[in-house]
Amino acid sequence: MSTAGGIIRALNSGVKHLAIRRFTLRYPEQKLKFVGDGFQFNPETGVGIAGLRGRHILYHEHCTGCQLCSVACEGIAEAIGMVKVNETWKQNKKAIMPQIDYGKCVFCGLCVDACPFYALYMTNDYELSSFTKSALIYTPAQLAIKPKISQDVEIKVDDRGATHG
Amino acid sequence: MSTQLPPGIQLEKIDDRIMTLNVGPQHPGSGHMRLIIKVDGDYIVSCDPDPGYVHRGEEKMAEYRNYIQNIPHLERPVIHDSSNILYPYCLAVEELLGIEVPERAKYVRVIAAELNRCIYTLYWLAIYGIFLGHSTMFMWPAGDRELFIDLLEAMSGARVTHAYLVPGGVRNDLPANFEERCLRQVDYFEKRLKEYLAVFYKNPLLISRTEGTGILSKTDAIRLGTTGSVLRASGVDFDIRKKEPYDVYENLDFETVVMKEGDSYARSYVPYLEMFESCRIIRDALRKMPKSGSVRTKLKPNPKGGNDEVYKRVESGRGALGYYIVSNNRPEPYRVKISVGSFRNLICMPYLLKGELLGNMPSVYWSLNYWPVEADR
Repeated sequence: MSTAGGIIRALNSGVKHLAIRRFTLRYPEQKLKFVGDGFQFNPETGVGIAGLRGRHILYHEHCTGCQLCSVACEGIAEAIGMVKVNETWKQNKKAIMPQIDYGKCVFCGLCVDACPFYALYMTNDYELSSFTKSALIYTPAQLAIKPKISQDVEIKVDDRGATHG
Repeated sequence: MSTQLPPGIQLEKIDDRIMTLNVGPQHPGSGHMRLIIKVDGDYIVSCDPDPGYVHRGEEKMAEYRNYIQNIPHLERPVIHDSSNILYPYCLAVEELLGIEVPERAKYVRVIAAELNRCIYTLYWLAIYGIFLGHSTMFMWPAGDRELFIDLLEAMSGARVTHAYLVPGGVRNDLPANFEERCLRQVDYFEKRLKEYLAVFYKNPLLISRTEGTGILSKTDAIRLGTTGSVLRASGVDFDIRKKEPYDVYENLDFETVVMKEGDSYARSYVPYLEMFESCRIIRDALRKMPKSGSVRTKLKPNPKGGNDEVYKRVESGRGALGYYIVSNNRPEPYRVKISVGSFRNLICMPYLLKGELLGNMPSVYWSLNYWPVEADR
């Protein structure tokens, strides 16, 4: 192959892409769609359910304050601390529940694997930025809120190429 | 020259013709490492790689954490090849603790490892492109990498550090319709991959810059102990997936890519051809995988390994990656040694760069499939 011919062929292969649809995700306007409602644990099979490992959700009615999530996080991120809550639950005599510092959390989800009472799951919420460090610390009350998210875009592949839409 | 400087910083002056150049340790062009290069005009007289700027003590950290807690930090050295760096760890711990892995989990692991190998190779190829001033080759692989990141995100729930493989299997089963989605994206990716040929690999500008530079002969490649694509580009048919098959690789249909030339071009072409083989493995594994069944053998809390030692290695994106683990009846390992491909390929650099033009340094350096953070561990 001659040098000029090779360069023309290379340019031509790039120029063809002017007619192809854009693949880039337009992030703040479009948001990726994920499978399921986040990473959860299936008590029947003993393995997780596929989903995005985003911000946690804590079911207060299941949490017994056993601290196993906090123990699991030791040596990984040490993001989980147990705090007192002003709630009375039959199963939680000590009235302590996890509080998660998202400045430290690495979103490995090993705390979800560790929870024997299926009280701690993860959600599809990943937009956690804040202006202060203290706002990154989520109290048990904040963790109980189910996030409202609209995620609708996924990768579509057809004859004209792949696109987000 | 001042004599007060520490040995690594001091610039030796040999004679008036030879000048010492520090490439790095700032990021552009070198990664987090320094190359001390002595040049005579435009020609490199000697090259002394100086790694260690991103040493994090992964091996020591592993001695203070139990076998499960070790997972998130052990994948940090190569975050875009995180399944492959965890793979030998899981194999080693399974042998140490005597765990049987379910059949389906073995296939899921292979799929995760091959998807991750493609992510790594595309990232490496993107940087190789921008190293040589080819910005299209930076944009295309960086964009196509999204296809695989999307698949692994659906599998594991994280885009980069997946923490998906665990001793005993994988963290969770595949999502619904994964097979269909995976096949569609892998098919599309193979079509895209063929477009790279005209724009990059058959581009005369790339060929003129890489062909015949940094030639590593077959005997030198074996003598220096290189591994992975560097070894295969020098004509040695060695792939751990074929020679010492782990999990289900012996049941899968793929071939080892070998090239004879041993120059920068061959070293950059072998990983590209291996991506086709990875796609083939993914397709074959999806077909042969048991359609249902368990994917994880549950461990006891804080499992203890006996008085034992074990070594396991796999083929990662950069070559052989092995873990040597010693345990002494405690929940934490006594010693963890990680043997990485990047560090073993680094040793060729003084040999390959001697007598080369300084302008050929980036193409030779990055063709070694070197990842500084992994080499420093």
